[in-house]
Amino acid sequence: MKSVPDKNILLFRSCLVSVEYPGVEASTKFVFDKLGVDYAISEKQTCCTGLGYYSDVFNQLDTSAIGARNFSVAKDLNRPNLVMMCATCYAINKKSVKLLNKNDELREEINTLFDENGLSHLKYEKDDLKPTENIFHVVDILYSKRDKIKENIKYDLSDYKIATHHGCHYCKVHYEDTIGGVRDPNIIDDIVEACGCKSIGWYDHKRATCGTGFRQRYSNPELSFNATADKMNAVYDEDVDILVHLCPNCHIQFDRYQHLISKREGKEYKAIHLNVAQFVALAMGGDFDKVIGVKAHTVPIDSIIKELKEVDK
Amino acid sequence: MRDDLKVGVFICECGGNISDTIDLDEVKDSLDVDFIGQFENLCSLNGRKIIRDAIFDHDLDRVVVAACSPISHEKTFQDYVKPLNPYFMDMANVREQCSWVHSDKKKATQKAITLINASIEKVKQSDAVDPIYCQTPDEVAVIGGGIAGMNAALSLAKQGTKVTLIEQSPSIGGHMAKIGKVFSPVKIAEECGMCLLNPILNELVWNENIEVITNAKVIEAERRSGTYNLIIEKSPRYVDVDRCIACGKCSEVCDIEVPNDWNDGLSMRKAIYRPFGQSYPEAYVIDMENCDKCGNCFRECNMKAIRLKSKPEKMLLQVGSIILATGHKLFDMDKRPEYGYDRYDDVITQSELGRITGVNGPTKGKLLKSNGEVPKRIVMIQCVGSRDEKPDGHRYCSRICCTVALKNANIIKHKYPDTDVLICYTDIRTPGMFEKYYKHTQENEVRFLRGRPGEVVKKGDNFIVRVEDTLKGEFAEIEADMVVLSTAMEPSHGTREIAEILNIGTTEDGFIKESHPKIKPVTTDVQGIFVCGTAQDPKDITESIMQATAAASKVSEYNYGGVEIEPFIAEIDREKCTLCGDCIGKCKYKSMSIQGDEVYIDPMSCTGCGKCLVACTQRAISVNGNIDEKIMATIKGVLSKKEDNQRMILVFLDNIGYTAADNIGVNRLSYPESIYIIKVHSVNRVGPHHIHYALENGADGVFIGEFPGDLMYDEVERKVDKVKNTIASLNQNPERLTFSKVYIPYFSGLARKFIDFDKKIEELNEIEL
Repeated sequence: MKSVPDKNILLFRSCLVSVEYPGVEASTKFVFDKLGVDYAISEKQTCCTGLGYYSDVFNQLDTSAIGARNFSVAKDLNRPNLVMMCATCYAINKKSVKLLNKNDELREEINTLFDENGLSHLKYEKDDLKPTENIFHVVDILYSKRDKIKENIKYDLSDYKIATHHGCHYCKVHYEDTIGGVRDPNIIDDIVEACGCKSIGWYDHKRATCGTGFRQRYSNPELSFNATADKMNAVYDEDVDILVHLCPNCHIQFDRYQHLISKREGKEYKAIHLNVAQFVALAMGGDFDKVIGVKAHTVPIDSIIKELKEVDK
Repeated sequence: MRDDLKVGVFICECGGNISDTIDLDEVKDSLDVDFIGQFENLCSLNGRKIIRDAIFDHDLDRVVVAACSPISHEKTFQDYVKPLNPYFMDMANVREQCSWVHSDKKKATQKAITLINASIEKVKQSDAVDPIYCQTPDEVAVIGGGIAGMNAALSLAKQGTKVTLIEQSPSIGGHMAKIGKVFSPVKIAEECGMCLLNPILNELVWNENIEVITNAKVIEAERRSGTYNLIIEKSPRYVDVDRCIACGKCSEVCDIEVPNDWNDGLSMRKAIYRPFGQSYPEAYVIDMENCDKCGNCFRECNMKAIRLKSKPEKMLLQVGSIILATGHKLFDMDKRPEYGYDRYDDVITQSELGRITGVNGPTKGKLLKSNGEVPKRIVMIQCVGSRDEKPDGHRYCSRICCTVALKNANIIKHKYPDTDVLICYTDIRTPGMFEKYYKHTQENEVRFLRGRPGEVVKKGDNFIVRVEDTLKGEFAEIEADMVVLSTAMEPSHGTREIAEILNIGTTEDGFIKESHPKIKPVTTDVQGIFVCGTAQDPKDITESIMQATAAASKVSEYNYGGVEIEPFIAEIDREKCTLCGDCIGKCKYKSMSIQGDEVYIDPMSCTGCGKCLVACTQRAISVNGNIDEKIMATIKGVLSKKEDNQRMILVFLDNIGYTAADNIGVNRLSYPESIYIIKVHSVNRVGPHHIHYALENGADGVFIGEFPGDLMYDEVERKVDKVKNTIASLNQNPERLTFSKVYIPYFSGLARKFIDFDKKIEELNEIEL
């Protein structure tokens, strides 16, 4: 496996996490602190542009320029390891690093724009960052700290039926860097296992998209929700209690729209939705409100998790 | 003194090819040698007499033939200079590299004089060396006892060659023994595979020239002077083959049952078993991993053939050549969880379907699902693991899967016309006569859908195969009660292992690489090792047999002809050698080893590149033939004819680059007269001192070309970079030295590189004046 850092990390904030499920960030920090991961966040960091990029608002030049700016923020803090909470940020930033290193013309164009606008300090030099060595998702860090997670488990969640959903933009965009399988993704399953639980493993549509498709949710709702319904029906067929994922886009699609699709399909869906960081935080004893941020969830967490049972030490 | 040597120059007109462009009178006037003559066609048979008479009449020590390229006629003139040593003759290439590439007569004549002069200087430095003839032992090892290995062994044995056939499993036969039926596209009919295999197997068993060793693997190999020493590890069979009469009583009393691997795990077998009815050796074998040593078989055996205490044995096999027929394995279905192979019993592979429909299979030929019912609809999925650019996939086509699917679909349709068979394909690949079989399959009402299924899921009692019909552009969900996967062929573990043990090149996909895919399809990049069958790439039975017999034929060529080796190879001074072994690691061709108390250089693999010379702190290694001095003399010979304001660029090429340069002339393209090509045995022998000397003594530029396939390519490139740095540190312009890739077919590119480099040097000359 590639080496995954546990220090000099810039925890890259995500718009969707901050706006929709702030508990994902709080949970990530809670878990990182317990695991002794050295990270910081920066107010200077901006959005990765992902949602705009995939909705044709931003082009690649804008996106890479903003990437270069955020990379310079990370370098200035001497935290060259960018760790994302969102699969979109992850794929967007990895692509920007690749382009800035390989496409001399694009890099020059962006650096010239910086120069012309008095922003020379933001300039990106070839190979300032390496796509494989510097760009990570939170899930990578958690996976590399599986053994340490095991030591910190407070609550036993093994009675719940758990399924995993691996974000497309983590698994299917930059294959070469994906840990835990691309065609048979298992990285979240392995982290769930480190929490003392056994996921259901493979299920129908395990690898399928959540259906968000960025603007597709709004411009092609039928297509988007058909895909989501496939997933929800599969989860329903398996009688799953908790669906664990790694991307706020998926999180919104499942959690916010579950009741709608439930009505459409005429089925009583029950699964609650947790980001992998929330799941680990929960198992480690994170506070429901302050850490997990359950109030932001549409499908109530306590509809499934009514009481917590401590693990036998 | 070498300068006192008497040199004769023989100039060939080549029927006008040379003399029409080059003024030979001027050439003769300008050279100071002991004999000079001009002849119409020197390569004709009377050339032999002309040259020999002149050698005797003028007491010549050395000969220069100014004619065509040495690639065309070096061997001829080496013969014509007898009784002189063949290497006392050098050819000045005034045709391919002068009269055919230049049209300006004056300049061409001047260049011819320079080239001949360089040859004169070079030949004076030549030492007498004799070509080395190697005869390798006739014995052959064939590794792998499948259809390819069996045919290769049989072909050689019938030609009188002793063959040892080494098979890893307890029986020879390979995949073909398992596949049930085979078909020929012409007959449009399927026939019994075992019935075709058995006569070959019998013939092989009865042939006295073949020794079959089963349960055995090559674990170590070493080569010395064309002899391979193979260490073979033979795992015990625990049954004495000479005593066992294959009555099967032992198996009846054995209590242990394990999945039968020969039936792809679809049935059970005992811990003491016979792999299949026709297996050879005709004896039982104990699977010790599963045996509990209860002793039942031992007590039951009337023949006293059971040997529970056998140990693995190691044996040495010495052979002159090796045929690799280590075959393939099928794609690992763990990598395609979406098809549910591990989750559902009725998702099977084509190989398993072959076992199920085989009369000697787990269901005695009845097509049954795991619940014992005949399937109503079978969906076959093609290209599982093949033609797949995503991670864990193979980009290549496995070639046989389309026809295997057609065959199995037809077999099903013959016996169970009510079973619906649908083949989901990417493209149907049925070249040649196979196309007729494809049509026949369509007429048999087998259905086809173009699209690669994404998933197989179980809903209720049935499977749902999700697929996009790419012709209609529609998404389809097909219900089925059996799914058959056409899995990719990939190199077997044995193929990968043997490649490592014998240090043979493999393709990026791990198959054994042939030395040339077009014209050398059975030789490998290691001399004396040949390949056939699916160890080399995916292929069917017919192609495997053809390649096997071709490999056998190549071994015969090798055994009858021996191998002539250019004598310019490394030699060790045993007085100086301290056996430090530094040279061994440096040799890219792996031709050095310590044998007993001396360093041994295998003449078959040494190319004389000279890399070992640098590694040897004791200066105990030399390369035969005075190569260093010859290169220097050639450089001096060229530069000594330089006139004022004349541009001279020295080009160093080995055999491959030189052939490419000849091709420029053969195709009558042109390049500047400033280009002087010097042929070397190995580009690596052009040392920094040669380059520095050339640039400091009149050469305007130095061009070094190397074929990227040469093992020394990276080394040479690095060396040139280093020399460039030194040139820069001496305040000279490193741009005057260039390194370039050369390929034989890309001669026009080489001509353009010559033109570009000449132009660049011209510009540099103007700037630096």
